[in-house]
Amino acid sequence: MWEGFLLGLATGVTCLAYCSPVLLPFLLGEAQDVRRSAGLTLQFLGGRLLGYLLFAVAAWWAGQLWRQSGLMREAAMGGIYVLLALLLLAYGRGFKSEACAGQMVKKKTAAWPATLGLLTGLNLCPPFLLAFAAAAQTQTLRDSLLYFFSFFIGTSLYFLPLPLLGFCRRRAELKTIGRLAALVAAVFYLYRGILMMAGGLIP
Amino acid sequence: MTGIASETKQNEMGLSWGKAALLSLPMLLLTALLLLHGHNLKDPLQAIAAGITYLFANYIFFKMLRSGRTHRYRSIFFVAASVLFVVSFLANMFEMRGTMELSTANILDGEAPLCPLVIPALLIPAALTQTIIFPGSMFAGYAGVATMIVLWIGFSLAVGRGWCSWICFFGGMDEGMASLCKKPSIRSFDQRWTYLPWAVLLAVVLLSAATLSPAYCEWLCPFKTVTEYPAVNSLETGLQAVIFVSLFLGLVIYLPLKSGKRTQCGLFCPFGAFQSLFNRCNSFAVRIDRARCVDCKICLKECPTFSLNEASLAAGETRSSCTKCGRCIDRCPRGAISYHIKGTEFLRHPKTARLLFLYPAFIFMAVIGGGCIFGGLLRLLKLLTTGSMIG
Repeated sequence: MWEGFLLGLATGVTCLAYCSPVLLPFLLGEAQDVRRSAGLTLQFLGGRLLGYLLFAVAAWWAGQLWRQSGLMREAAMGGIYVLLALLLLAYGRGFKSEACAGQMVKKKTAAWPATLGLLTGLNLCPPFLLAFAAAAQTQTLRDSLLYFFSFFIGTSLYFLPLPLLGFCRRRAELKTIGRLAALVAAVFYLYRGILMMAGGLIP
Repeated sequence: MTGIASETKQNEMGLSWGKAALLSLPMLLLTALLLLHGHNLKDPLQAIAAGITYLFANYIFFKMLRSGRTHRYRSIFFVAASVLFVVSFLANMFEMRGTMELSTANILDGEAPLCPLVIPALLIPAALTQTIIFPGSMFAGYAGVATMIVLWIGFSLAVGRGWCSWICFFGGMDEGMASLCKKPSIRSFDQRWTYLPWAVLLAVVLLSAATLSPAYCEWLCPFKTVTEYPAVNSLETGLQAVIFVSLFLGLVIYLPLKSGKRTQCGLFCPFGAFQSLFNRCNSFAVRIDRARCVDCKICLKECPTFSLNEASLAAGETRSSCTKCGRCIDRCPRGAISYHIKGTEFLRHPKTARLLFLYPAFIFMAVIGGGCIFGGLLRLLKLLTTGSMIG
């Protein structure tokens, strides 16, 4: 368990770098105050934890197939990227109409950050692959879950300063920038996702 | 009335022939050192190219001082430098590699010249990994990483986002296209689009940190179309090429031609947004004298980079995205807009403030733009005399 935590601590900056293109535009777009930003970050982390744990279980049950078929893995990861992009697009498109976007986020406020967190949690970033390789060597499913959980705790420490973005709440411009950045990131993930799916499905 | 006011303003900012000539002398000496040094002037083609560049630069500077107009003459040099940059760059690429394509081997060998637009995306990865995520050489070759970064820091500290109107060889393409628009058919843009450069900046900086690769260069740069691009040999590189060309046609050709605005610079360029930060920490600004201003809003219509809006006009200043191009200053019929040195009393010495801005801005423009003009002219002269630009 300590090993997972230390690995998370050592690679957390990279983890933050991987998650921030998704989380930061969202936090800027929603920045109201520190408390709300902290709530959104926690929801995002909750989703991410769920992603990690799901991956730990899935890796345990279907690990052999997953690891043997590189093309299927590419296609599946591409699908996750496309889903992530579609979510970001749906979020970012509200940048021109504050009222509309406000209503949309108000209705789905709990679902958004958690879902984004879940999808980034399923992302095969380098630290995640390291954790995967280590967890795959554990003897039981419980050990694998514990490993991923402690890895999650280690990486999540780097997310703690992010709610301070809530101090920017007076700047309406930042909201617009956050939403537009979500659109740009969405285009990137869509592009990457489609390419990965094409690479996986058309060998 | 407007014409008379405009003339009055020109008289205010313009200098007498003698004063303009005297104040041009330091520039004559400096540009002689900067533009004529390092070339083989015994080679007639190089001597002609260097001579034309030198005379052209100094004619432009003299006319700026004499007429009191900044934008009109800056723009001529800026656009010429941009066009000749493309000629010179492409000729260099064909000479070195025989193609505009950047192959995997070129990338592995670190042969890509550093483009300033990628600089913001290098910072976080450099801090995290102590490496430069760009396939260029630190010192060797054409536009080495260290050389470009030193130039960028120097210029950014000197004139902030003035970079975008005085040095950026890409901005000149936008400006050239916008200047061809005589009657705009697209008259207004939603103000919120002016935040897009910041969003692109945020996204590409984060994505570059996430992927440890220059995300902007790989999938968003319109100027790949006229410089170099990854060899198209897969679905990915094919898609990239489509994106580059579409962005170039849309942002650098179509929208500037239809709107008369620098849409790539004002609505998209992440480097421009990054440079806006330097506007806050350099000495020069553009200010509006509210006592003279009659709210005709000509400056709002004229600003090519959307750097003036109702709120900034009311506050008597430009937005942080101001590129200090001087167009609003040239066009204001009341002469209410001028360059200003922060920390000094506004309008106490407007001519001095303008001169103090023009010297550093023009020196940098002469060094970078002059280099582009020299390089482009040399290639054209080679073409005229030998039938080929390369070799």
